[in-house]
Amino acid sequence: MKIKGINLGCVTLFSLCIMSFLIHAAPVHSANEFKLKLGAKGQTCLKCHETFNETLKSRFVHPLLKKGECIGCHLPHTSSHKGLLKTDKAKLCYNCHKEVLPENALSSHDVVVEGNCGACHDSHGSNNRSILLKSGSQLCFDCHKDVGETVSNVRFTHKSVVQDKGCLNCHNPHASAESNNLLQKKVPSLCKSCHKTDQIVFKRKHMDYPVTDSNCNSCHNPHGSNKRGMVFDVAHAAVVEGKCTECHQKPTSLETKKKTNQLCRDCHQDMVDQTFSKNRVHWPLVDKVGCVNCHAPHATKEQKLLKGSVVKVCGRCHADTVQLQEWSIKNPENERLCEPVKRGNCIVCHSPHGADNILLIREQSVTTDLCGRCHEWETHSTHPIGAKIIDNRNKNLTVECLTCHQACGTGNNPAMLTFSTTHELCIQCHVERIK
Amino acid sequence: MTKVINGSGKIILIMAGLLVAVLSFQLPLSEGAMKFRYITSVYTDDKGLGLKQPEGVACIGESLFIVADSGNGRLLRYSIKGGEIELGTIEIKVDQLSYPIKTEINSKGDIYVLGRKERSIVRLSPAGEFRGHLQPLGLPSPAAYVVRSFAIDRNDNIYILDILFERVLILDPAGRYVAQIKFPDEYGFFSDVAVDFRGAVLLIDGVDGMVFSAGKNSARFSPLTSSLKEYVRFPTSLTTDDRGRIYLADRNGASIIILGQDGSFLSRQSGMGWKEGSLNYPAQMCINKKGEIFVADTMNSRIEIFELVE
Repeated sequence: MKIKGINLGCVTLFSLCIMSFLIHAAPVHSANEFKLKLGAKGQTCLKCHETFNETLKSRFVHPLLKKGECIGCHLPHTSSHKGLLKTDKAKLCYNCHKEVLPENALSSHDVVVEGNCGACHDSHGSNNRSILLKSGSQLCFDCHKDVGETVSNVRFTHKSVVQDKGCLNCHNPHASAESNNLLQKKVPSLCKSCHKTDQIVFKRKHMDYPVTDSNCNSCHNPHGSNKRGMVFDVAHAAVVEGKCTECHQKPTSLETKKKTNQLCRDCHQDMVDQTFSKNRVHWPLVDKVGCVNCHAPHATKEQKLLKGSVVKVCGRCHADTVQLQEWSIKNPENERLCEPVKRGNCIVCHSPHGADNILLIREQSVTTDLCGRCHEWETHSTHPIGAKIIDNRNKNLTVECLTCHQACGTGNNPAMLTFSTTHELCIQCHVERIK
Repeated sequence: MTKVINGSGKIILIMAGLLVAVLSFQLPLSEGAMKFRYITSVYTDDKGLGLKQPEGVACIGESLFIVADSGNGRLLRYSIKGGEIELGTIEIKVDQLSYPIKTEINSKGDIYVLGRKERSIVRLSPAGEFRGHLQPLGLPSPAAYVVRSFAIDRNDNIYILDILFERVLILDPAGRYVAQIKFPDEYGFFSDVAVDFRGAVLLIDGVDGMVFSAGKNSARFSPLTSSLKEYVRFPTSLTTDDRGRIYLADRNGASIIILGQDGSFLSRQSGMGWKEGSLNYPAQMCINKKGEIFVADTMNSRIEIFELVE
């Protein structure tokens, strides 16, 4: 229907949009929205919700509660949201506190993005600054347990972590527009706020190498470590011994003596030679970056100087496979998930440097030599498997574990089966069963 | 001849016009309706010895093709006629090649093979006799390189994907250095190179799922596609047909992705499986003059042959 050339449908839609905007963009509460008696406000609520009388005695109380403006966040009669909240809990705080998540943030705290403000704050009041649930770093360590353990167990603690504002000496709690990991500034600028790099002692400790603008975290664990100088617990022997010239030119520059895997080969000759004698070398090992694609050259918290956990390092390139592994772990029906897959320990089956076998599998026979290490394959089931059992679909293939299972995980399929049901799997070969 | 068209006639004409407009608008999309038709598979040599995890296949003319039978450390030369593999397979085995993973053939029939273990390219005569390693002449500094893959264009120029110094080296048919094209600043990992009929050089980045291209005489690669991760898992090989369409072998996704000349997604063919027509870990592909598509179906230890039906 049209009125003087205006489509009524459009007008209605436009009106609905405007109304919707007004409803959602309205201030948290309007003046006497609920026609309360003069002076009623929060006092009316507190008649029943007596516990908040105690909350009001806290050192830090949410300003709305302090003013008795319960209706700033709650609806008095009915609501579609738990706690009679005005909007979804995940969005409510952002009505007023938009600034906690700037648009240009380089990193942001997951709980902030999720709108789970209650993970850190008591929305009404507490005895901790910023109405936090706990004071100091302990609040952070409740979730970041590994950091908490490091801080409390290491021999050499970073003073910044335990003094003054604790974690907040270096990190922003909500988001950072300056750096990753919620850091207030990028490294090394952040570190240089306290550590004076122009002092002789700094230069001496770094063997006179020009590290002023280097990434401090390539050697030092910012949360503390058991090694002097807070060098990461797993450190390259040359670093520990201060033998920088093993790899680097004289202290006039940070240039290495050689490039690519050639540099590492000087010391790790046997390993490199052994790798290069295989049919298949892992390609990143021979590219421009070489060994340091996966390994940190100086120090790290991971064994074998890996740049992260095995699954994290492999996942940088093989993200699609790691995604399957992650889905498999999350699938509650996958109780029989292979242990290395569950732990993301790819190198139990794959040789990360090189192998004679396809997929860089460690053993030639997957069934007997690889899976057979952990699984008693001959008693696995009544189904015949092994090198002598020819796959009836293709005489070049034998029936192996991988005929039915996908070794890196299959997402939502049970028992790492290639298909979602046993029936679907079996009829791939046993066609007669369909008939 | 003039005809008076009445009211309903006008409506019919308008409708017909609209129909034509809609159909013509959909014409470019009709390429999306392309489909692989399975022709046959190759499992063995003449003596009945099965292929073992072949990773390479190259086409010559209308009927010949060569398989890099990687697991058995050999090449096999086949002929196909009317969809049937002919008898008389030739086995090529040379000491200098223990694990062939990619093969190409130039217009003279010379065979070039990349050995994974040696990471070098071996040159063989059309009959399969060893003619030496390809050693580029006159390379500018840095002269070192690591061959991840290679391609040969219609004029027999050779393109080496050098992952050591992040470039594609272009050599003339005699192996003399002609030019180099630098990798882009941002990329994941390049695993294959191809040259289309216009001379554009293409790279596949399996990690980021992107195709990069450099037009003839370009000094640097630029993205031809944005990330194709919506369609692929881990593409590692690519080839082109005589219409410039790009074929990607999605290794982990066990399928072949077809892109238009401009990098637009057209189709995804085949899928994970053991039955004929399915794939498991596809590697090198080639397309012969008849348009038949050969795929090294590595983990199924066979070569699969398809044709594209539009």
